[in-house]
Amino acid sequence: MDPRPVEQRELEALSRRERQRQLRGTFAGLAEIVVALVIGLFVGALVMDGAGYDWKLAYEGLLIGAFGDQWAIADTLASATPLILTGLVFGLSARAGYFNIGAQGQMIVGALAAVAVGAHVSAPPVMAVTLTFLAAALAGALWALPAALLKATRGVHEVISTIMFNWIAHYTALYMVFNVLNDPRSAERTVRVLPEARLGAIIPGADMTAAIFVAVGVALFMYWLLWHSPWGYEMRIAGLNPSALRYAGASPLWSVNLTFILAGIAAGIAGATQIIGRPPTYALYGDLSNVRNLGFDGIAVALIGRNHPLGIILAAIFIGAMGAGSRMMQIMAGVPLDMVRIVHGTVIIALAAPEVWSLLGKFLSRGRARREAASTAHSKTVQR
Amino acid sequence: MRKASILLAALLVSLLAVSVGALAQGSLAIVYDVGGRGDLSFNDMAALGGERAVRELGVRLTEVESASTADFLPNLRALARSRQHDVIVGVGFLIQDAMAQVAEEFPNQKFALIDGFVDAPNVMSISFADHEGSALVGALAAITALENGGDTVGIVLGIEIPILLRFEVGYRAGVRWAVDRYNEIHGTNKQVRVLYTYTGAFDDPARGKTAAEAMLGQGATVVYQVAGGTGLGVFEAVESAARGQGKVVGPPFAIGVDSAQDYISPGFIAVSMVKRVDNGVFEAIKRALDGTFQGGAVTLKLAEGGVAASSVEMVELFFDEAVAAGAKTPEEKAVAMAGVRAAREAVPQLAWDLLNELDSLIRSGEYVVPEALDRDTAEYWRSVLSTY
Repeated sequence: MDPRPVEQRELEALSRRERQRQLRGTFAGLAEIVVALVIGLFVGALVMDGAGYDWKLAYEGLLIGAFGDQWAIADTLASATPLILTGLVFGLSARAGYFNIGAQGQMIVGALAAVAVGAHVSAPPVMAVTLTFLAAALAGALWALPAALLKATRGVHEVISTIMFNWIAHYTALYMVFNVLNDPRSAERTVRVLPEARLGAIIPGADMTAAIFVAVGVALFMYWLLWHSPWGYEMRIAGLNPSALRYAGASPLWSVNLTFILAGIAAGIAGATQIIGRPPTYALYGDLSNVRNLGFDGIAVALIGRNHPLGIILAAIFIGAMGAGSRMMQIMAGVPLDMVRIVHGTVIIALAAPEVWSLLGKFLSRGRARREAASTAHSKTVQR
Repeated sequence: MRKASILLAALLVSLLAVSVGALAQGSLAIVYDVGGRGDLSFNDMAALGGERAVRELGVRLTEVESASTADFLPNLRALARSRQHDVIVGVGFLIQDAMAQVAEEFPNQKFALIDGFVDAPNVMSISFADHEGSALVGALAAITALENGGDTVGIVLGIEIPILLRFEVGYRAGVRWAVDRYNEIHGTNKQVRVLYTYTGAFDDPARGKTAAEAMLGQGATVVYQVAGGTGLGVFEAVESAARGQGKVVGPPFAIGVDSAQDYISPGFIAVSMVKRVDNGVFEAIKRALDGTFQGGAVTLKLAEGGVAASSVEMVELFFDEAVAAGAKTPEEKAVAMAGVRAAREAVPQLAWDLLNELDSLIRSGEYVVPEALDRDTAEYWRSVLSTY
């Protein structure tokens, strides 16, 4: 017989059960991802087969294009770099209970700031790069702030305000590209940033630069912040139960501002990575095509990564791999880009669906609770 | 691990087999611009040249579209690294940066760039005398406006890149030449003003539509679109303005660009400035195969078939291309071609006569169309050509 006291044995059994439950949760999560991936790939194969393309060859191309050699892997990581950051924008905000879809605009503003500083401030290389990233982060944060203030003081829903600020950023950028930061010799883009502000390719022959380390660094910082700091604790409580936060005496105003500012910083840096960390142009194109959709792709990344900074890194690499693999899908299997995008779309939807479902449930139940609270309060007043 | 290496080996062998097979008959790769296939314009014209090479030279064709400008470089590299292609063609000015870099990394690979310039011995930079073709349609636009009692024509452009300045100034020159000629014939003292808008995009029909609507509102009789996909909005604006007046054929008219676009809005497109990108692509692979390929700039002029005003036959050819792309059905052809012919008949005869006169003057070198590739030169010609 076990000589230890009963209490200790019970405790151990409890913690064992708790561990098992956690393990089961992790397995369930992994199984969910695998099942979703299989479903997405299966539907994609059906679509390609129906359109008369060789889906086996296409998926082979996807793999080779994404991970086939050192250049492919580097290109995958290069594509993942901005997505890690824009994924953090949505993921962090969702953890704090906000539906922040302003990554696109904040990223555009970050890219503009990167051009403005990178092209005009001459400094030693490391300093120039740091200054450029800082300027982009600051610009992204400032662009995120109005939405946060409007939310906190006037109750303006962040979905509306961030969408609007996205468009303001878009058209401001068009104006800036053609009139302020324009290159007189090349009207299709802005001036290039100075050589000392550029990050070079780590592996010659591929686009990956040190920007990937910046992106991963920001993600790790966000992870620490969310789960190992009091501010992150407040943010997560705000997301789980805003009234509990108020009850505990913390200020929701501070929480919303902090969330949006941190998200804006990530978005701004994402913009900078595309200007100083992606050869060969080192400038912003007039149709903004080198930052196109990266902010919105970040939403998919965050959903697939379950709004967790480490999950977001993996999800961004996954989406980056799909992007890098798409060229070999075209080259090897002759699948046109539109068809490639349909396949990507089905896979992404399948992977993101569970998280969308749970987020939607959370938002709906919170809305219902608020309405119920309001109606009980109303009926009480009437009774009085 | 072993399985993976066996797979890899099998793959390498198959790649090798493919490349040997490909080199035996020649292989052409095309990297398209962000607008991509299905623009019924620039990129589709390049594809047409590729298809012609497949038919006439028996080469293998590999096509890659680019989702964003960041994809140009990896797309070009992936093709160059495979060493399967006799020549890799980049379509469009925006690919220039990436091609310059890749040409340096792969000095033994032949490249061709449509509408841009890379200074490298292994890059053939192909451009077209857009200013000459634009002058032709400018002449037609000006006379069409004058004969319909108008005094305004418009041009809607994409991003303000050097090549587009060349289109704009060429168009203005054609307008001016035709107005002077018209005044000479009729002993009048008429003027035609040219409205212009750079929309800043090649893939935004909504912006093209807004710009064209503004021009029509200011009395423009003809609007020339030089904006790729954005230009589809110009056609929409012109057609809906004409239909709003109960017309089934213009004026107002639009003018198409790059390919023979007349069928896209049948009845409302007077003519198109056809840029034979297909000839450029075909020329690149042909020269790569017969050993005459050379780096450097090649301009295909009006006299060399580089540009042209669209003919009914050309429109028919491109309609068939649109059918192949799935944008049109064969059943629509009869109606569309009837509309195209009706539009051509509704354009005053004098406009066609002067277009042809200018065509032969340019071919013979008696009239030299001014060429602007930077803002200052463009500004100079804007003021010179609009001072009466």
